[in-house]
Amino acid sequence: MRLLFSEKVILDMRIAVRGIGIVGGFGCGIGDLKEALIAGQRTPQMTSLSINNQTIEMPVHLCNTFPVERFVNKRALRRVDHFSRLAVLGSFLALEDANRLQNDHENLAVIIATGYGASKTTFSFLDTAIDYGDACASPTHFSNSVHNAAAAHVSILLKARGPNLTVSQFEMSVPSAFLAARQWLEDKTVEAVLFGGVDEYCGVLGYCWQRFFEPDPTIQMKPLEWNSDSAIPGEGAAFFLLTRDEGDKPKYGFIRNIQIGHIRKNRPQVPEDTFLFLGADGHKFSGTHYALCVQQDTPSAVYTPHYGSFPASFAFDMAIAGLSIQERTIYATPEHAGDNSGLKIVSDQKDLVSEQISCLKFSCEGEFAMVTMSVT
Amino acid sequence: MSSIPPVPVTGIGCLCAAGANLNECMDSLFAGKRKPLPPTRFSSDHQVAYPVFEITSAFPADSSNQRSDILFTAELALVAAKEAIENAGWNREGLKNRQVGVCIGTTVGSAMNNEEFYRSYRSGGNPSMEAITRFLNSNPAKVIAAEFGLTGPCQTVVNACSSGTDAIGLGASWIRSGICDVVLAGGADELCRVTYNGFISLMICDTSPCRPFDASRKGLNLGEGSAVLVLESSDLCRSRKHPARASVLSSGSGCDAYHLTAPAPDGRGLKQAITAAMTACDKTVGNVAFVNAHGTGTPDNDRVESLVLNELLPQIPYLSTKGYTGHTLGAAGAIEAAFTVACLEAGEIPASAGFETPDPELLTTPVKHQTAVNGSIAITQSLAFGGNNAVVVFGKGDS
Amino acid sequence: MALNEKLKTIIIKELNLEDMSPEDIADDAPLFGNGLGLDSLDAVELVVQVQKYFGVEIKDMDEGRVAFQSINSLSNFIEERRSA
Repeated sequence: MRLLFSEKVILDMRIAVRGIGIVGGFGCGIGDLKEALIAGQRTPQMTSLSINNQTIEMPVHLCNTFPVERFVNKRALRRVDHFSRLAVLGSFLALEDANRLQNDHENLAVIIATGYGASKTTFSFLDTAIDYGDACASPTHFSNSVHNAAAAHVSILLKARGPNLTVSQFEMSVPSAFLAARQWLEDKTVEAVLFGGVDEYCGVLGYCWQRFFEPDPTIQMKPLEWNSDSAIPGEGAAFFLLTRDEGDKPKYGFIRNIQIGHIRKNRPQVPEDTFLFLGADGHKFSGTHYALCVQQDTPSAVYTPHYGSFPASFAFDMAIAGLSIQERTIYATPEHAGDNSGLKIVSDQKDLVSEQISCLKFSCEGEFAMVTMSVT
Repeated sequence: MSSIPPVPVTGIGCLCAAGANLNECMDSLFAGKRKPLPPTRFSSDHQVAYPVFEITSAFPADSSNQRSDILFTAELALVAAKEAIENAGWNREGLKNRQVGVCIGTTVGSAMNNEEFYRSYRSGGNPSMEAITRFLNSNPAKVIAAEFGLTGPCQTVVNACSSGTDAIGLGASWIRSGICDVVLAGGADELCRVTYNGFISLMICDTSPCRPFDASRKGLNLGEGSAVLVLESSDLCRSRKHPARASVLSSGSGCDAYHLTAPAPDGRGLKQAITAAMTACDKTVGNVAFVNAHGTGTPDNDRVESLVLNELLPQIPYLSTKGYTGHTLGAAGAIEAAFTVACLEAGEIPASAGFETPDPELLTTPVKHQTAVNGSIAITQSLAFGGNNAVVVFGKGDS
Repeated sequence: MALNEKLKTIIIKELNLEDMSPEDIADDAPLFGNGLGLDSLDAVELVVQVQKYFGVEIKDMDEGRVAFQSINSLSNFIEERRSA
């Protein structure tokens, strides 16, 4: 084994993407995602919150999880909170999309990446103790507030008995957790991995957003304006049913490569013949990193205005990459994504000419990850 | 069949109520010391105080470890990382030139649950954002990576009570895959009011010192602490001629898919994890010196573990060390891995603290006294909320 | 009996048994196992709700097992503790 010297991590692989399940501010399912990408940016919902004794409105890409009842009856969901419902819905949609919902899941691993976990329920649990005393703190809320509750609910409902993993690494949660997905498929630990990113919005998050950024509620998200804060919070779940290469042509192509590094030490190595999806989501501290690293001649797009800013959103870009591969189409970057002179941003929908799509994400501190997916 | 390559463990750091470093912890364990007490850092309005294993010793060694910008959990992680790195004979400069990954388990360390902030927010106050900033700066794996200038893969595992064990298994897999040549793998968790109230609400806490596997066991005691293991590639270990304290031979994992809080009564997930781990390292029951069980002291957990141990590892000595440390949640698997290596080195295991009277319902019992052990490998296992079961197999030396 | 009705309402509300109404719960029907299909997590949640609504403590699940057999047994338990 060769000795490594502080290079970025570069791993090649051939992981088949067989199903995608997604729910976000734009709707539910790969069909709604496609419609949203074609229709262009949708205005996010306005939600109220109280700050400095005033009620204000702020835009948030909220989603609802009612469609989960198509898969799981109400009684079985009675103790499943919004965060876990997002995960359950994403999971079931991915399996359905892969035509594997009815399979035996004895050998299915469940991996969930989340930045904030079940934050709403964490605060609901605090509410029960604050309102009624410590002896009346709710055990149901507590057990749902642990980060891995979502993976537990998914496993229980699917009877998935492969390993279970939940990772919390803020914006790097999805690429970090993906290392385990790749490992377990390579090692043949499991036959398939249900891999997803989930984050939910909650009132406390909105309040913190206001306090940190004092955002203007009237402006749209402009992720390509590297030096401004224009992020709009969102929530959702994007899940993938992943397997080893089975010698066929999976509908969303293959995950071929992941790079993980830090701008302090190295740069992402963007493949020559690739289309670049930028995970820039309107935070100036990460925007500056994209500005340094994105070459002017690499065809690029950004889709974050469709679903908002949240740690696990890298999975959404991967989902759009999968859809683009399936449809052989590059969808237009939303019109108001920001001044993109100096970049080769695709402003109209067009055919996917390159064989590969690379999704690139920077954290504010300069960690980066790039996942490249390909048609073959 | 052939086994997967062993991954050397070249250094260990450990900190909990039993001691400020691994040697102190092991001295306490072998001296049979344990004294859980009501928490001092927070109060509650429960009628009874539930004993916990708090780190009250002059923490931790020197004040340069204390930082106001990160949560206590992240501080604990740093202390263990520093001890481990030193124990492994690394210095900061040396590590910076390597591809070093960090994989740390936690629960509290990733939870945004600052009560003071939330109470003020709830009542329309204008709380300082310091608590939020501190939380955002406290991802344990990231904190360790930032402190030592490490830029390899970084992962905080939040698999509840099996996080520490999972993190070590995952870290070892990074070495085997060639992603890193060094990994700092472990876990950290602090005691806090939220988890205290949470576990009490589940009625699985004991009002006395916990009694894992005992007939009269009533539940667990919470604890806090951290442990980090330095894992290295065999090539690197050989090239710098540093001895391995032990090796990670394999790991295994399985999910009960049964219930959010209760383990599957037939222990299927744990059986799956143990079987997978033993198969991967190509060892037999006869090689196993001992098992460091999860052994929380709850009626359900201990019943299931005992059943599985009796079936898969009959006659193999086992113990729970939670009688000395409490249940340290995300840190538990890592602390217990540290103890497992130390016991393998010593060829002895301490008594399973809190165990006096066998439970007629359980087919096996842990060791009641300090016991010499033979065998080239040892197993540490963890069972988590949500049904995940994780196992790591250690071998002596560089195996 | 008013307490029985109140208990049924509390159980339905706090355990999220959305698809049920108080009429669906017989006073003497088993709450756990094959009855309402409640489980160990519901049991500890019910302990907390009894404390919250009635100020009555259930010390451990041995007491809980007796109290939670049915609506009748629970209301008896609460009445006994309240008058003590």
